[in-house]
Amino acid sequence: MDLPIFIAPLIILLVIWYLTFSATRLDRLHQRVETSWANLDAILQRRASLALELTHFPETDPAANLLLTFAAHHARAADISVRSEAESSLTAVLLLLRQESWLVEKYPDLFEELDQITERLKVGISLHIEGVSAARARRSKLIYRIFRLAGKAPLPVKYAFEDDSLVEMQR
Amino acid sequence: MKIGLISPYAWDVPGGVQAHIRDLAYHYLDQGHEISVLAPASDESSIVENFVVSAGRPVAIPYNGAVARVLFGPVAASRVRQWVAGGDFDVLHLHEPAIPSLSLLACSIAEGPLVGTFHAAAPRQKVTFAIAPFLEPVIEKLRARIAVSEIARETLRIHLDTDAVVIPNGISAHFYERAEANPAWSRELTIGFIGRFSEPRKGLNILLEALPKIALALPDVRLLIAGPGDGMEAMERVNPALRSRIRFLGRIDDEAKASFLKSVSVYVAPNTGGESFGIILTEAMASGVPIVASNIPAFSQLLEDGKYGLLFENENASDLAEKLIRLLKDKELARSYSELGSQYAKRFDWAQVGDEIMNVYLHARGEDEKVTLLSEARSWSRLFTRGEEE
Repeated sequence: MDLPIFIAPLIILLVIWYLTFSATRLDRLHQRVETSWANLDAILQRRASLALELTHFPETDPAANLLLTFAAHHARAADISVRSEAESSLTAVLLLLRQESWLVEKYPDLFEELDQITERLKVGISLHIEGVSAARARRSKLIYRIFRLAGKAPLPVKYAFEDDSLVEMQR
Repeated sequence: MKIGLISPYAWDVPGGVQAHIRDLAYHYLDQGHEISVLAPASDESSIVENFVVSAGRPVAIPYNGAVARVLFGPVAASRVRQWVAGGDFDVLHLHEPAIPSLSLLACSIAEGPLVGTFHAAAPRQKVTFAIAPFLEPVIEKLRARIAVSEIARETLRIHLDTDAVVIPNGISAHFYERAEANPAWSRELTIGFIGRFSEPRKGLNILLEALPKIALALPDVRLLIAGPGDGMEAMERVNPALRSRIRFLGRIDDEAKASFLKSVSVYVAPNTGGESFGIILTEAMASGVPIVASNIPAFSQLLEDGKYGLLFENENASDLAEKLIRLLKDKELARSYSELGSQYAKRFDWAQVGDEIMNVYLHARGEDEKVTLLSEARSWSRLFTRGEEE
């Protein structure tokens, strides 16, 4: 039978194709995570600078100023693992200020922008988390680990941002 | 921004997805974006919008209790390839990418900022699990997924194991709010129904079954039915004594629909299933007409379990009759639903929905990124163009 001689290279080709296909898939997922993180990061930076703007107002008390500055600087500088904690505390402080209706009435533009940013953050976070879980789920599959299809790409980190406090902020 | 939109269904056949794409396109055009829509079309000359590109004649296949006019095959694929390659899009927004049609084709040959919107809601089906392994690598390329309702999101989660952002369908709330009532249609005790009533899932049968009981309590009741279909055939099932109370208006355009909703005293949606969102209910609310709807998941969710309209038990004609009688008799109740509804409908206005979708576009897109053909597809199209040049 000559058949096995035919089939062996075919199987090898098929395996190679499948591995390339799988690697491309994972690569695309990594790209998705990078994009979503870059966009999320940009909005978070914008929010931090907005928070710092708030501290220049004469109406905000020194204690709030201190908290805001502290939180905003932390949120800007911290590396990703500390980042979510810093951002959450910034959310909490901003939420406190958002509830002061007289302050909101005095600076409607700024708070409107803050509301918009909050809206964008919510979507950004959920898209990012979805991308990270998809990439991680793929990477954990056996074939990806055996053939090291992820290469040297770092494992995407889930950004644990408190979504609840953001929802509260909408009210 | 240059936005490409793809409709999986024939452009010249009315439908929810097509209407959604058209309205979204106009909304973004008004905001100064560049729009191109790719859609199948049975008759290219019938396309009035200059931003719509036809991808060829669709094929009719039965799907989800209705006939879907979709398009696929090698010719369609090459059309999609050309359109994507020549479009230079910042974002490609694919509607229903899990349906075998243009969106799926585009999703498999393009890469970059791809956004997909899932409209359909379907119960758990074994067949989807069989095709999921083929769909998954394609759907996975979408940078962001939008579901039009929680039910559509759940469908997506069950069948394709992926989450989505929920953004409802949009309406032009002002258009319905400002419409004028048509004196010929407006009279007290008029029940309105709009839809392709010959489809059983639209539930006209249940409404007709409920009619004798309603007529017994309210002898002056009148039923106005609008939508394509054979009215005479439906009439045959009605007791001859009641026939004078029913009027079929045939298919009506958007203007007539808006004034229809302004004219009737109650709008009824007796659909028995297969709905994912219920856009007609938001339109009815925007025009301020109180609603009686079946308690199917899509409607219960949209009306927040009866907060914005009376719900009756699905496929229960006697419950439907009871609820209709209650709403027609109780003016105070009707007014409170009308007020609550028109407030709530603003949430579905394009001004709001359009911004939310744009927000998703921005998230899906890296800096200065464009939609491109996949490298494999690129070589194919190069092969094609070279062939044409020679």
